Amino acid sequence: MQCEESEDGGGSLGSLAEGPLQALPAVDGSVDRDKVAVLQALASTVNRDTTAVPYAFQDDPYLIPTSSVESRSFLLAKKSGENAAKFIINSHPKYFQKDIAEPHIPCLMPECFEPQLEDVSEAALKERIKLRKVKASVDMFDQLLQAGTTVSLETTNSLLDLLCYYGDQEPSAYYNFQQKEKSEELEEATEENTEKSKKRAGHQFGVTWRAKNNAERIFALMPEKNAHSYCTMIRGMVKHRAPVQALNLYAELLNNRLHADVNTFNSLIEATAVMNEKFDEKWNNMLELLKQMVAQKVKPNLQTFNTILKCLRRFYAFGKSPALQTLREMKAIGIEPSLATYHYIIQLFYQHENPPKGSSLVIYDIMNEIVGKKFSPQDPDDDMFFQSAMKVCSFLKDLELAYQVHGLLNTGDNRKFIGPDHRRNFYYSKFFNLLCLMEQIDVTLQWYKDLVPSVFFPHSQTLMDLLQALDVANRLDMVPQVWKDSKEYGHAFRSDLKEEILMLMARDPQPAEVVLIKPVSSSDCAAFQLQEAFADCAADIRSTFESQDARQMAPQWPASALNCTAVLFLRAGRTQDAWKMLGLFRKHNKIPRSELLNEFMDSAKASNSPAQAIEIVQLASAFSLPVCEGLTQRVMADFALSQEQKEALGHLPACDSDSDSSSDSDSDISGGK
Amino acid sequence: TTERTSRSERPPRRKALPPRTEKMAVDQDWPSVYPVAAPFKPSAVPLPVRMGYPVKMGVPMAKEGNLELLKIPNFLHLTPVAIKKHCEALKDFCTEWPAALDSDEKCEKHFPIEIDTADYVSAGPSIRNPKARVVTLRVKLSSLNLDDHAKKKLIKLVGERYCKTTDVLTIKTDRCPLKRQNYDYAMYLLTVLYHESWKTEDWEKNKTEADMEEYIWTNSSSEKNILETLLQIKAAEKNPDVTKEELLGTKEIEDYKKCVVSLKNEGDSENTLSQYKDSVKRLLNLT
Repeated sequence: MQCEESEDGGGSLGSLAEGPLQALPAVDGSVDRDKVAVLQALASTVNRDTTAVPYAFQDDPYLIPTSSVESRSFLLAKKSGENAAKFIINSHPKYFQKDIAEPHIPCLMPECFEPQLEDVSEAALKERIKLRKVKASVDMFDQLLQAGTTVSLETTNSLLDLLCYYGDQEPSAYYNFQQKEKSEELEEATEENTEKSKKRAGHQFGVTWRAKNNAERIFALMPEKNAHSYCTMIRGMVKHRAPVQALNLYAELLNNRLHADVNTFNSLIEATAVMNEKFDEKWNNMLELLKQMVAQKVKPNLQTFNTILKCLRRFYAFGKSPALQTLREMKAIGIEPSLATYHYIIQLFYQHENPPKGSSLVIYDIMNEIVGKKFSPQDPDDDMFFQSAMKVCSFLKDLELAYQVHGLLNTGDNRKFIGPDHRRNFYYSKFFNLLCLMEQIDVTLQWYKDLVPSVFFPHSQTLMDLLQALDVANRLDMVPQVWKDSKEYGHAFRSDLKEEILMLMARDPQPAEVVLIKPVSSSDCAAFQLQEAFADCAADIRSTFESQDARQMAPQWPASALNCTAVLFLRAGRTQDAWKMLGLFRKHNKIPRSELLNEFMDSAKASNSPAQAIEIVQLASAFSLPVCEGLTQRVMADFALSQEQKEALGHLPACDSDSDSSSDSDSDISGGK
Repeated sequence: TTERTSRSERPPRRKALPPRTEKMAVDQDWPSVYPVAAPFKPSAVPLPVRMGYPVKMGVPMAKEGNLELLKIPNFLHLTPVAIKKHCEALKDFCTEWPAALDSDEKCEKHFPIEIDTADYVSAGPSIRNPKARVVTLRVKLSSLNLDDHAKKKLIKLVGERYCKTTDVLTIKTDRCPLKRQNYDYAMYLLTVLYHESWKTEDWEKNKTEADMEEYIWTNSSSEKNILETLLQIKAAEKNPDVTKEELLGTKEIEDYKKCVVSLKNEGDSENTLSQYKDSVKRLLNLT
């Protein structure tokens, strides 16, 4: 992109003292605004493109992902390519030394992960700590102690930091490349489980604090310890699930008349919440800690209150009033709550709700308070707010509230808080489900066009909800469009979706099924086209079933699908296809409905073919259907049959007996005619 | 060797979706589809464009897979609507145009020197572009304070850089590595040229007729010739007292001088040649 500037003069305006030009402002060439301000201003003129997928994907019909699974795998593939490239660059740094970036971009240059200093010295220890080599730094420390050199307090503290952060385990060899998102998914799973399974899950991931590990040993060896050392140890113990030791160490800290900092207090609150069994004991202990915090003149921060609320979540109903107390305290101190705060409160109040008992109205208060606010990331759990808020809206079946939540999402930069893929999909699925249930169909369809596929890929359940909404609003003309979208988003082989579509199309005959020589009005034309469209759709669905059959040996056609397809073909006048469908009944051993057989009889009569009529009766008798009698009578009455045809009819087994057949047949056909 | 999966057991080949132009509404927000300069995407542009040399009895190729459409630069991101929106957004960064400068002449009067610079932006790791150091300085000589000799000397000094029709001197500098240095150098050149053209060196006295920019009639060979001719005529007519000065003062000589000067300076044309003919005729009393 090339842009040209042309300025007037060299900036010397001193000579322009004469009258009319005294009002000229000083033209300074210096840029005193943010470097990207112009780009941001231009970006504000552009909105989201509603037919495109996110920009990370290649915009080509073949390369666009069609479902959330695919989009995830594409993004992972991209990221793994980047990681592979980084790995190659870091393994062979000598080939990648040429630097064409101006100004210098450090992250494009190869990084060195091996320690360079080989001697036994404090500098070497510091280097290993910086490179996060846990075992090597512990070894270096021991060597230094054996050699008799004292290690400074600062370095020892940073060594303790390293050990406590990693729980005395080596970070995995390629920690630079790993995604850090595994832990939050597991955390979400554990939230909804009971305590027991939580503990089980807890042992599967994360590190447990072993007694007498290196951290404790080094801590014991330290000649002098300051507050930082104690704080690090306490936080490490809480992180790696050793709350008892943490509290003991805290007692020791107090004995040494040292003060803990706010992060340590946050960890201690977490520790007390895990210990003890009774809720009020836990709460009292937490209050104790807070009082001590005040005594030590440590100011609480946002994390303090968020930790309290997070622990209160597990207290079920007991936690409600302490939570509100906490919120009031927070506001009194002047700390602005973050989205995570509201998320915890929502979880606390709506976790184990039953509708008959009456739901809390706290969500309305929350929304009233935060509507229109722009949030910035302050807590790792901030991105869980929107999911829980939308869950509550869906639970309360309140569309206005959902609109409020969605409006909040679109304020400022708040859309960054929507979270990873699965959370986003959940949020939008619930939102769309609510729209289908409660909003007018035009507005729903507009939302559908707006959200899909640029924001989320529809689940098959979403499409089923949409179909039901169309059904309620009597907009069945959109059903072929929905089928087309289903194919596009990878749901072509879901039989429940296909059955629903076929059932909706086949339920009522559309007006004007007869071929019109001259359409009387445009609505007739439209209705006729609708029947045609339905038949095309049915043919398409049939082909998906057939291709499925070809791949898997077992036949997959469900009975209702067969029925509906045959009816649709008949109504659109595609008699050949319809008769082929009839053959499929016998092949797949599915039973046709009696209305279907009657319609076939009508069509056979219209085409005046007794052979077809007899075929229908034979099919009915093969399945021993009760309607066989009625059909045989119709054949006798309406068709001109030859002698052998009549004999053939007479010999059909099911139609011979008169005992348990339908009561509206009034003539015996015993013995045949 | 590994077993080959049979055709029917392999997962079916991924099919391409229909192009997203089918989903686009007629009144959609086009600047959102193409916000920045992007290559031509046939699945995103809902126009039935064709390009390419057709085969015999054929039409130009359609847009799908058309390399010609990819090669050319497209301005799909700069529709008039988009430009209007951009201008609206950029208004906040602009200062007011000074109300006193409301005509071109005033601009020229107060800001006679114009500087042209170009900045380049491209996608890549480096923000440097060697083409960005070029500085072009333009000034009208009429706004510089030059007398006749100074102007002629300046024009001789700059040579190609002066355009006679627009009276504009253009100095383009790129010999320094930085734009600021080139700008300083251009201003320095202008200053030096100005001062040098006002000075008169000793050797300028040796300016010959070949160095003259325009034709000067006094002391030229044409003057000598005509005066000699006229003196000879006068002598043949027994009228030897007429002096050169007297002859020079006559109207016919003035006229002749004007015609010769215009002929030499402006070149041959119908007008000048016929004027010359008339003046010669008058001079030699041939009319």
